[in-house]
Amino acid sequence: MILTSLTLGALTGLATPAPEPTSDLLALRVGRAETIANGPIDNAVVLIQDGEIVIVGEDLPIERGIPVLDLPDAVVMPGMINCRSRIGLDSRAGTVSEPQILAADEVYAGSDVYAELLELGVTAVALYPPGRGIMGQAAVLQARGESVDELVVERHAYLAMTMAADRNAKKTIVDALEDVDDYLEDVEKDREKWAKKQKKKDDDEKEPFEPEAPDADVLPLLRLVTGDLRGQFSIRKSADLLHLWDVLAERETIDYDLHVPLRDDIDLFYVAERIGERGLRVICDPEIVAHPGTRRERNLPAELARAGAKIAFVPRSSESVDAHRNWRRDVGRLVAYGLDRQTALRGLTLEPAHAIGMGDRLGSIEAGKRADLLIFDGDPFETTTKLQAVLLGGEVVHGELYQ
Amino acid sequence: MKVMHLKRTTFCGLALLGLAAPAFARPAPAPLFVDDEEAAEEETEEEVDEYLLLEGGDIFTGTGAVLRGADLLTKNGKIEAIGYDFYVPEEAEVMDVRGLRLYPGMVALSASSRITEGSFAPADEIEEPGYDPSLDLGSEGDEWDFDALEDADPFAPGDAATRTTDSYDPFSTFLILTLGAGITTVEQSNSAIKLKRYTIDDIVLREGFQTSLSFGSPDARRGLREDFAEARAYLDAMRLWRENDEEGDEPSKRGVNGAVLSVLEGGTRAKFRADDRDELLAIARLAQEYGFRPIIEGCREGWVVADELGRAGATAVINARDRRWKDDLQVAEGGSSIENAAKLHAAGVQVAIKPLSGSIDLGGIAGRDLLALPIEAAFAVRGGLPEQAALESITIVPARIMGVDHRIGTLEVGKDADVLVTDGDLLHYETFVQYAVVAGELVYDKSEELFYAHIRPREQAAAEEEAGDAGAAPEGEADPEHESGDGDHEDGTDDEG
Repeated sequence: MILTSLTLGALTGLATPAPEPTSDLLALRVGRAETIANGPIDNAVVLIQDGEIVIVGEDLPIERGIPVLDLPDAVVMPGMINCRSRIGLDSRAGTVSEPQILAADEVYAGSDVYAELLELGVTAVALYPPGRGIMGQAAVLQARGESVDELVVERHAYLAMTMAADRNAKKTIVDALEDVDDYLEDVEKDREKWAKKQKKKDDDEKEPFEPEAPDADVLPLLRLVTGDLRGQFSIRKSADLLHLWDVLAERETIDYDLHVPLRDDIDLFYVAERIGERGLRVICDPEIVAHPGTRRERNLPAELARAGAKIAFVPRSSESVDAHRNWRRDVGRLVAYGLDRQTALRGLTLEPAHAIGMGDRLGSIEAGKRADLLIFDGDPFETTTKLQAVLLGGEVVHGELYQ
Repeated sequence: MKVMHLKRTTFCGLALLGLAAPAFARPAPAPLFVDDEEAAEEETEEEVDEYLLLEGGDIFTGTGAVLRGADLLTKNGKIEAIGYDFYVPEEAEVMDVRGLRLYPGMVALSASSRITEGSFAPADEIEEPGYDPSLDLGSEGDEWDFDALEDADPFAPGDAATRTTDSYDPFSTFLILTLGAGITTVEQSNSAIKLKRYTIDDIVLREGFQTSLSFGSPDARRGLREDFAEARAYLDAMRLWRENDEEGDEPSKRGVNGAVLSVLEGGTRAKFRADDRDELLAIARLAQEYGFRPIIEGCREGWVVADELGRAGATAVINARDRRWKDDLQVAEGGSSIENAAKLHAAGVQVAIKPLSGSIDLGGIAGRDLLALPIEAAFAVRGGLPEQAALESITIVPARIMGVDHRIGTLEVGKDADVLVTDGDLLHYETFVQYAVVAGELVYDKSEELFYAHIRPREQAAAEEEAGDAGAAPEGEADPEHESGDGDHEDGTDDEG
């Protein structure tokens, strides 16, 4: 339908000052679009309407009257997403293990740090609650405005948990999952009682079955078990993962990602193939680490990706703005050392989008997704490349595009 | 020599079998070359028997028998056959160990938790943003779990085993070092733990096999004697009651020490820590009186009362290098002796040897930790212990102490396939464990791990020997396999990826 409304009109036009927008349409003509979903497209046209991408393709004709941004040397990619951070929050926040805690409640709207991140090309950031064990639920922020309500776009992004090869860590998760089982059992019993009662009643007296609401601390885990809420387990070594699988056993409905801080001596390569077989997503920092007991360097993200794991990157220290500034460069270094380029780009955009449960709305340039776009004057992984503009929901929120 | 990569899963193993097929004498059957991973997975999910053949080594079975140039076949983690010219299924993985020796995996008593948990990088190295340990309340901490301590039943050994299994790290660097030292089973807080790599399943062989009793102070002796008397009385009453067709009330267990009772019933073994001659004598008499076979750790003056201990059927857990001065006020002989092990053994005491430290230590005095277990046994040989007894003191005797001698401790058909392959006498200081097999799986290969790969690499030594024999070998093709000898492929993924 959109296609039919396009004409061959503006193909040869230079970048003329944009005419008055007609129906909130905007066409971007760029040298290259890193769509993530469908690989790179040269000489791409991205049509945006009401903050959403309508169509993307090579050399698409643009109907006369639609404002066009003509940037023949530019590279456009989706906004980067940090799926695990505590930037802007209290760094000494405590140690509680309560699943009902929301990071969204911690957000301080007065902080201008999220606007700073936006200028660096980070269009969404997920904040996780503090603590150990079952830490609570992460929130997704987009710097769209001044108030908390405008900032927070998702209050239940994922359930952050830690897992270790340690009795207490395992017990915390096992107990919480058992609470869910108990609740489900109770509901089943109530349902049977209800069914018996209903049989005795006449048709007009029948009531619908209303299960008792679960306790506040059971609800998030119930949502986890039913696949309604993603889980994110922090682990530190390969053994932790085996113990995690021991705890999860046959609960196949749980969707979860792994968060592994990469550091020297980490032994994650032992389980790379098993992670790959299961197609799990690993959230890690773009770090080259030393093989245990040696100084031999390993590119673990590249190894994991080759084994079939999905990789989502977070900045090397997700707590500082500077780390976000160097984020692209750090990931670029892994690419220089053998990480697949598309995997690297995915790891900055679409994979973290999936990790925060918003993969259907963010993270790639394809029809139907929000137009959170970054416009560069060259290859995003090149150190000399400059970020020219940031679009959030189709609006230029940083940079100057109209010469 | 072709050694295949370590297997992680059955399904993975099959793929590898396919890769390594050229190493087989006979061509592998066609299904091994299935390209489609899905199909391969489906096929292997129906339990495929896994065979490993160690071909042509000198097998020191640990029972006293030695079979020169013999084969050992494992099937699904158990020893299937030992000997010459037996049937080998053609899908068997083959390791050529000609010129090497095979020994049962060693068993280490009182090993520290570091073996199964430790890693080079401390676990809490990274600061987790938003987590402040100083705000921790303590009850969540690893070390001081007061609730757990209160809940814990001192006579319920399952707790300790759970702790071990819940924190078992099959990738621990210290675990690899321990396997490299030839130890395949350890005792950790009253549980027998098999040192498996790549998995956390089925690592506990047995838990709660011993009861620690104290017989040191006069008070403790009196108390313990009373406990034994009560437990014996209870058992007698119980027997009488049963003989009388369970008439009347069942005898009450009230006041009976459960730990002592389980010793008398044969459920667990009583363990004492004693060095002093008098104390050893007292234990021997108690044991003979109540008819149980004590385990005595330390036992430094045991050689003085060896006959007594032998009559009591004691097992001594000793260290040949341990020192103790003679009490000059005693007329009788005393103090430690390098002949301790030899004299105890001669008197019929079962001797197990343990190192001075149950950990792997990079500090302190070198060579006193788990890595030197066979050397400790060698010190006992210096003091006169027969070599066979020395081998038993680090294999089957500790296995007997833990009550798992039906599964480990010797190379016998039907037992677990925990096998060491060494380049010489196990007790010799120059000997290295070349391969360690646990439950039929290769878990340590000296040439592939970082630690000792560069020390007297075997391929190189063999090549030099060959060059010496043949006069002058062409220099260029010295040894094509040596390039993997630097430990570059420790994890084995580099080739597969």
